[in-house]
Amino acid sequence: MLGFLTARQAGLDDPLRLRRAESTRRVFGLELNPDRDVDRIHGNGINTIDIEAVEGRYMLSGGSDGIIVVYDLENYSGKPQYTCKAVCTVGRSSRYVHKFSVETVQWYPYDTGMFVSSSFDKTMKVWDTETLKPAEVFEFEGNVYSHHLSPIARKHSLIAVGTKYPKVQLCDLKSGSRSHVLQGHRAEVLSVRWSPRYEHILATASADSKVKVWDVRRASGSLLDLDQHKGDKSKASTEAVNTAHNGRVNGLCFTGDGLYILTTGTDDRMRLWNSATGENTLVNYGKVCNESRKKLQFAVSRGCSPEFVFVPCGSSVAVYALHTGELVTMLRGHYNNVDCCEFHPDYQELYSGGKDCNILAWVPVLHASAVEDESNSSNKDAASQPSVNPALQDAWSSDED
Amino acid sequence: MNRKRALISDTFKVKKSRNGPEKFGVVCNGNGPVDVKSSLEYLMTLFPRKLFNDALPTIVLKHQLYSLHNDKTLVDKEVNKLREQAELLMFQLGFDTEAFGLTFISDYKAKVLAGQEGKVTRATVERFLEKLLTSSCTDLSFSKEKMLREFLFTDSEITQLVKSGVLTVRDAGSWWLSIPNSGKFTKYFIQGRKAVLGMVKKSKYSEVLQAELEERRTIAQVKFNMKYHIHDIVGADLVESIPTTSGALLRFVES
Repeated sequence: MLGFLTARQAGLDDPLRLRRAESTRRVFGLELNPDRDVDRIHGNGINTIDIEAVEGRYMLSGGSDGIIVVYDLENYSGKPQYTCKAVCTVGRSSRYVHKFSVETVQWYPYDTGMFVSSSFDKTMKVWDTETLKPAEVFEFEGNVYSHHLSPIARKHSLIAVGTKYPKVQLCDLKSGSRSHVLQGHRAEVLSVRWSPRYEHILATASADSKVKVWDVRRASGSLLDLDQHKGDKSKASTEAVNTAHNGRVNGLCFTGDGLYILTTGTDDRMRLWNSATGENTLVNYGKVCNESRKKLQFAVSRGCSPEFVFVPCGSSVAVYALHTGELVTMLRGHYNNVDCCEFHPDYQELYSGGKDCNILAWVPVLHASAVEDESNSSNKDAASQPSVNPALQDAWSSDED
Repeated sequence: MNRKRALISDTFKVKKSRNGPEKFGVVCNGNGPVDVKSSLEYLMTLFPRKLFNDALPTIVLKHQLYSLHNDKTLVDKEVNKLREQAELLMFQLGFDTEAFGLTFISDYKAKVLAGQEGKVTRATVERFLEKLLTSSCTDLSFSKEKMLREFLFTDSEITQLVKSGVLTVRDAGSWWLSIPNSGKFTKYFIQGRKAVLGMVKKSKYSEVLQAELEERRTIAQVKFNMKYHIHDIVGADLVESIPTTSGALLRFVES
């Protein structure tokens, strides 16, 4: 690490290199920290979490009881011990709350004034955060498994919705009406994601084992089907169909730069695909246990080198290196199945939620000096202040003035 | 390649080894280049030739290599390289979509031709093996148009190939490449795998030290070498291999 710092100081290295090195070091140190806690509001399992893209300060969570909670993640108290408080909730007492479990929540990508939630009560609601009332309600014929708003769209404001029916619905946020339908899947669509690189490219994953990549401007059908055997027809058990997995495909994620797509399926495999050509990069992650009948929300790190994938695996979160497929570590801490996890790119923290109604925060732990500092300071002042990070301590003001 | 500056990913070794560079209990291959060929040869020595009266070539499963090397992606790449160099053949064994069998091509050729001695189908089989060596060593299955057009085989010749065991039917108009008389191998293999897994599962806490498992008396069901089965169940992720101070521990994985 000192090598990176000296090189940056001397101008030998790009500033970005030092930043990436430190981010990577912090991800290696991810651990459950007794100092960081998230308020426990949900009474039932947590299905989905989303951290807003603008400041990374507010987090939304949706639970199986239909409740949506907004948390403030920022720590202004100066003390290392901090509980992320719930700022507001759409609870069971609200008139507009979802009747059944909330499957996906997402902040509006440009500000936190609005968020969209979709649920098994066959509706998708667009909420105003200030008043906590839905500004718009979209109704569908089947359970809504997943929806996604494009994080970079400038020319359109479409929400892609995956429901129990095989047609992927596109709804327009500006006009409040449905825009068009993408046909091609044969079974329920479990997960939809827009590309973070091109605002018109959408990927959808379905229970018929296929993953399709679409350009929404094109009327005639999908651009590509992802094929796990890379065109080598000899490996597939039947010749006809291109399948991405040998079972339901229930997790879909683009990497931060939009160049790769990751998919997980109930055949206990995770695959990495080149998003431009649809080619399977054949990275072997081994057995990634997956029994979820709904969608699985997993996350890819941003700003590290090498990039990491955090995928819920039973009751723990598995961390894999993205391009080599090596298992770095398993993060154990939940008491029951983990359903969703989200990476906070600015602080390199991971938040994961599961059936045990807890959201756990995995924070990089790098300084082992906390123990020595406490024993020293308890001798001096009678534990008036818990140990503060030495970088934040006041070294300026003098006691005399 | 000479790098002036180290890669960020090298500075932080992906696996943090808190206990120093030696991993106790596990025979690991260190950080040198992955030598898949020598691991293949080692695994081939574990295969029992006598059991099949020397009629079968030595078969190794691809996931057995995963138990010897850490990086699965590198192993896959090396295996594909060997297949393209026409040294290795891969087969779909049939009992699991992910279980692939590997044999050295020289071994396969010798055994198949030896098995065909004095049979009517010998000439066709020889021709097929020649074609296989030259053009498509990397294919697992063949479709009808391929056989008719590229290889110039007639329908009756295809039937002869299926009869001799070199091809097995996949669906109407396509065939898997296969090893003649490998039915016995598959049967003993599945039986043995089930028995060894049962031994691990029945142990206290569903875990057994690898050294102890190798010492145990092999019951009648297990006809292969115990080590062969251990590499198989570790590589297929049916048991987890945990390094301990007394050697590697195999713990049954609930699924």
